[in-house]
Formats: sequence, structure tokens, C-alpha cells
Amino acid sequence: MEIFHSFVKMKKSILHLDLDTFFVSVERLLNSELLKKPVLVGGTGSRGVVAACSYETRKYGVRSGMAMKIAKQLCPQAIIIRGNAGTYMKYSNLITDIIRDSVPLFEKTSVDEFYVDLTGMDRFFGNYKFASELRKRIIKESGLPISFGLSQNKIVSKVATGEAKPNNQLKIDYGFEKAFLAPLPIRKIPMIGKASAQTLIHLGIDRVKLIQEMPVEMLTSVMGKNGQIIWNRANGIDNTPVVPYCERKSISNERTFNLDTIDVQKLRDTLTAMADTLCYQLRLGNKMTGCVSVKIRYSDFQTYNKQIRIPYTSADHILVPTVMELFNKLYERRILVRLIGVKFSHLVGGHYQINLFDDNEKTLNLYKSLDHIRNRFGAGSVMKASMLDVRTVISGRNPFDGEPPILLAHRNQ
Amino acid sequence: MKFIVSSSYLLKQLQVLGGIINNNNTLPILDNFLFNLDGKSLTVSASDLETTISSKLEVESTEKGMVCIPARLLLETLKTFPEQPLTFTVEDNNTIEISSNHGKYALAYASGEEFPNAVELKDPSSTVVQGDVLATAISKTIFASGNDDLRPVMSGVFFQFSTDNLVFVATDAHKLVKYTRDDISASQTAEFIMPKKPLTLLKSILAGSEEDVTIEYNDSNAKFSFDNTEMICRLIDGKYPNYEAVIPKENPNKLVIDRNQFLNSVRRVSIFSSKTTHQIRLKIAGAELNISAEDIDYSNKAEERLTCDYQGDDMQIGFNSRFLTEMLNNLTSDEVSLEMSLPNRAGILTPVDGLDEGETVTMLVMPVMLNN
Repeated sequence: MEIFHSFVKMKKSILHLDLDTFFVSVERLLNSELLKKPVLVGGTGSRGVVAACSYETRKYGVRSGMAMKIAKQLCPQAIIIRGNAGTYMKYSNLITDIIRDSVPLFEKTSVDEFYVDLTGMDRFFGNYKFASELRKRIIKESGLPISFGLSQNKIVSKVATGEAKPNNQLKIDYGFEKAFLAPLPIRKIPMIGKASAQTLIHLGIDRVKLIQEMPVEMLTSVMGKNGQIIWNRANGIDNTPVVPYCERKSISNERTFNLDTIDVQKLRDTLTAMADTLCYQLRLGNKMTGCVSVKIRYSDFQTYNKQIRIPYTSADHILVPTVMELFNKLYERRILVRLIGVKFSHLVGGHYQINLFDDNEKTLNLYKSLDHIRNRFGAGSVMKASMLDVRTVISGRNPFDGEPPILLAHRNQ
Repeated sequence: MKFIVSSSYLLKQLQVLGGIINNNNTLPILDNFLFNLDGKSLTVSASDLETTISSKLEVESTEKGMVCIPARLLLETLKTFPEQPLTFTVEDNNTIEISSNHGKYALAYASGEEFPNAVELKDPSSTVVQGDVLATAISKTIFASGNDDLRPVMSGVFFQFSTDNLVFVATDAHKLVKYTRDDISASQTAEFIMPKKPLTLLKSILAGSEEDVTIEYNDSNAKFSFDNTEMICRLIDGKYPNYEAVIPKENPNKLVIDRNQFLNSVRRVSIFSSKTTHQIRLKIAGAELNISAEDIDYSNKAEERLTCDYQGDDMQIGFNSRFLTEMLNNLTSDEVSLEMSLPNRAGILTPVDGLDEGETVTMLVMPVMLNN
């Protein structure tokens, strides 16, 4: 009983680990010539986006998420690499294995980011010592630089990691969370992006300290619901637990064309291919969807969405026509299209309920055999003829394995 | 207009008729009962435009007249009275006064002319069925009908009358029930689709009744007459799907099992299945039936083993447990047989015993596609 009591009162201890410029570091590991040189990883097409940039390029103003074109102008001498998601996944998994091997509870939030719950380990190992040793072990075994932040909750640890970088570590002691956050610019708080930062700066708020000193009500009146969360975060308050499993609420697929297109057939084929792949992924994870949505972004960046609720299903011959129907309703402006995408949400576990009148055994057996071939020889081994031109959207990864969604290294904007 | 009637006698009739009145009517007049008095006979009607049901009551009166009385108000009042005679008097100021032993109550009434007229059946064909038989036929089938507004034909029960037998079919495209009576026949062949609502009402009125029900029908309407009651309803328009074609003919795998045992196991196991899809898996090998379910999201899992009588190849088949429980619940036999052919073809559930002579029940349930 007493043990339990002390456990309740025990302060939590959360470690945040983040690999420094992960994609660049992996490329450097594979090719030592890149060391100490400005490197950019990302989409190389005309619409590519910087997925990772080395510290050498940052002094020129390059940031990840920036259009590759602009990055090139800012830092013309940079070496540009079209990333390979497969390689990065491999290294990410290697590091995940090391962490899984050493800690009791961890959460992988993306390819290069981890939260570890070290609560209760302090008295036996010394959390800071333990974390430092873990970091050293990762660096030694993988050869990749990694930083960490250690504090009593996820948010403060994450901010601390950001401050510690590159390739360093930082511990925020109990009770010093507020003091640590106070002098930082507001953008350092996760959730405050471009738009909210702009709103706050207009109010004359540029440091976290000012938010800390504000009453919550004032912030909620400006920011709405999020005001409460931002205020909590600014004050170093965060109770979100470390969740070891990442559950997918939806699966989606989208594509930005290198050149805007008005070729409706191409749009349809791309959508079919995406829907087809997503259906296969649903079946791979024994899931069904109850909501289908289609997204179109026109060349003027106007973005439209349309969605429909349907009875739970994972069948191609229902979902593909539904996607097409939505697309036909949605695509009404006769102008160039920049991006299209498909999303399945409202996912539940289960199998397709066969219909007495609409389904016939022939098609069911055909789909079953197609899946069988894909399971054995890969997702791209068999496809509709119309999908031949749009292979790139096909993926055979089971999205329901508890891993966070893959971030493509060569993204387009 | 004035009449005297027993309170409980009136209440009993009105409660039956009240079943047809919708809660939200677009036409306010449909919130009323139509009272049509003609000397000693009072005809009370209620309608939802699709279905009109009316009953003849014997009252004490010498007058004539027609008024619409608010249904809910009247029913609520009648429910509170102990058995006693009530006097209804239509006053000049557009109210109807009810006098009881306890006091007087006045309700505003509407003119009887405003009430929509029931449809007249032109050149109907007819069949006579015993009330109880019809009620059984409805209760055996109606649960299998669908709710999909996009496919209205499946939201009703298909009546298929011929000179050999009467067939009742209901399906929602996932399950199907076919109920046949070989001991009763119609004067000529006819097919029509009855909507669910009047059938539910008929089922509750006719359960256990030995009275004969006359069914008259043409292309658009059907009329059920029995006792002093008449029900006229609009039929569902459209072509019923060809259900005969989807009943598999060859089913080499036959499972015979105690119905209650099977039902209880399916119920128990299905608690552990996904709350949205209710899917369970049946594995049959030798004389053992293995029922299992899993809800991955919550890590719930269940598995049961039953002994059964099985002839055929070992197989695995997935079903929505809801369908199985509904069907097993609807049957009354001690044992049931489940005939199957392949994991992606319908399973046929039939009672092994307990049927009346001339009665056949065939239930079809579509499986779910198992991936492995």
C-alpha cells in the first residue's frame, strides 16, 4: 500500500529522443564525402520540398519544409539528394530496436523521434545517467547523431531536445520547467505555428514568459479552444501519457503532380490506383472503412474536400466507384489540378460482408486471388492496366502495424 | 352527434389503431382518430397516408355524424379510467365533451371531412388465411427485411401467392428468410411487397387469433379484413430481387447442432467481437465446431468449442454474429441444421424439428470474406 502511495506521488520522468537531421545523417553515414558539407534531402522535382537539411545549410536560412527551389537559391552550393524512404526506415528500425531493448515503455512518434517513460527508474539507475548511456549506445551502434531532452513531461522534454541540438543533451530539473521555457521565443512551443505565432506577435507576445504571466481566459479569448492547451504548454503542464502503440484513425494517399494537369483520365487513373492500394492495405490490416473522402487542390491552391459515409466495407468494387463518384461531384472547376488525394477514415476491424444479390462468386474469387498474388510477390506485382502509368502511389505496407505513418523523403508541395 | 360507449372497450380498440399514427406528422389531421357514427355502429379510423386502419364498434346511439378527435389526448384520458360508460357529445362550439362518472372533459375536434379517405381497391383478388398463420408468417420473416432507403423493395416482406402454396420472403441482401405454407393456397397467382409498418401491427393484433383474415389485393394496394377491423395499405412499388437464384443448390457440408447451445455460444463469443462489425469465425473439423471472435482494438478474444454432428470437409467461415443470433432466436426447434458449401457462399439454416405440417422455413446467411 505504501509503495503504491509513493508511486502516485512520484513525479513522472519523460525522455524525448530526436535524431539530428536524420535523413542527412543517414546519407552521410553511407557516403562520408558528404561530411561537413551542406546537404539537402528532399524532393528533387520542380515541386520538391526539403525534408531534411544539414546544419551547414541552416545559416543560409534553409529550413525543412521549405520548397527545394527556394532552398537552392539560398544555398546554391548545397548537395541535393533525393531521399530513399526504404533506407531511412531501415535505420529508424535499427534505432527502435536499440530503444526497445533498453527501456520499459516507449512511443515512436515518427521515423526519427521517440518518447521514453523513465518514471520510477531514477532511484535504481539515475535517469540522466541512464539516458546519457542510452544516447551513447545509439550513437555507437548506429553511427547517427541523436539528441535528447529529459524532464517531467513530453512537451518540456521536446522543447529541451530542440534546445540541446545538435548532437547534445539537456535535462530540466523538477520545478524548473517554467523558468526554462520563459526566455524562449513562442515559436519553440509545439503547436504554435506560423499562424498562431503571427496572432500572438500582433498582441506583442514574443516570449513564452508573457504567456506564462497571462491569465488563461485572455488566451482562450484570442486563440479559442487551443488557448488553454497553449497556455498549459507554456507553463510546462502536460499530462499526455507515453503510448507505445500508434493506432491509425485513417489511411490516405495523395499526390502532387510535377506539372499541373487537366488530363481527367490521368486524374481518374491516379485516383483508381490510390483507392485500389488503400483497399488492399485495408484488407491487409483486416480493417474496413466507413467514410471515404477525396481531395483536390487546383493550381490556384484552392483546396476542396468531399466525403461520404458508407456501410463498412473493404471491397474494391464498392470503394473505387465511390471514390470516382466523389471525384465527379468535386471536380467542377475546369482548371488545372495540382494535387489529388483519397482518404479512408472511420476504420473498424473486420471483413467484408458479402452481399446476396450484388456480389458474385467470380469477382470475389478474383479479388481473393489478386490479394494472394500481392501478398506473395508484392503490392505492385499485379494491377489494373489503367494503373500502369501511376505505379508510384502503390504501396504494400500494412499501415496497421502500430508504427507511425511513413514520411516520404522526396515530398512534393 | 352523441353516443355512449364502454371506456375499456373503446380503449382496447383505439390502442390497436393508435399504432399506425406517426409521432411527427406533416399533415396535422393525421394526429386524429376519425369517428364515423351511424346509428349503433361507430367506425374509428387512423391513418398515416400509406396505411389506413379502421374498426367497427358497437355503441349506444341513434344519431349520425363524423368528427376527428386528437388521438394522443384521447388515449391518455382513456387509459386513466376504470371500466365505466362514457358519453361523447359534440357541442356547437367545436368541442366534443366526454362525460364520465368523475366529471367532464372537453376536446377540440376537427371536421370529419378533412380526414383523408381510404383508398378503394379496384378489381381485387383475394385469399383467406387464418390469423395465427399470417402472424407466424410475418414474425418468421419480418426481422430479415432491410432498412435501406435506397432499396425500398427490400424494406418489406414479399408475398408470393400461388395455387399451390403461399410463400413469404424477406431479405436485406445479407440474410434472407423464406417461409412457405404448402397447406394453404390462393385462388390465383399474385405477388406483392408489403411494407414493414402495417405488418408489425398485423402481427401484434393477429398473434394467436383463430379468426380468418381475408386478404384482398391489386397492383398497388392490399386490404386485410378480420373481426370488425379493416386495414388498407399501399404496397411497395418495384421488382423484388430474384431470391431463388441466390439460394445455393448444392451444399455438401452439413452441420446439425442443438439450437439453444449454438445460440448461447454465439451470443457469448460475440460479446468479444468488434462492437461495430460483430464478426465471428466458425471452424468446423470432424465433430467439433469452434466459434471464435476477436476485437483487436481492445485485445478482447473468445473461443468456444461445441460438439456437433457434421458431414463434409473441414472448413472455416466468418459470419456477422448479429445475423446468426437473430435467426437462431427466431426459430423454435430443438435442433438446427446449417448447410454450407464454400466460405464465400451463403449458409442455409433450417430447423430440424418442430414444424407444422406444410410449413417450411429456409434461412440464408451470407458470410464475410475471411482473408486467409
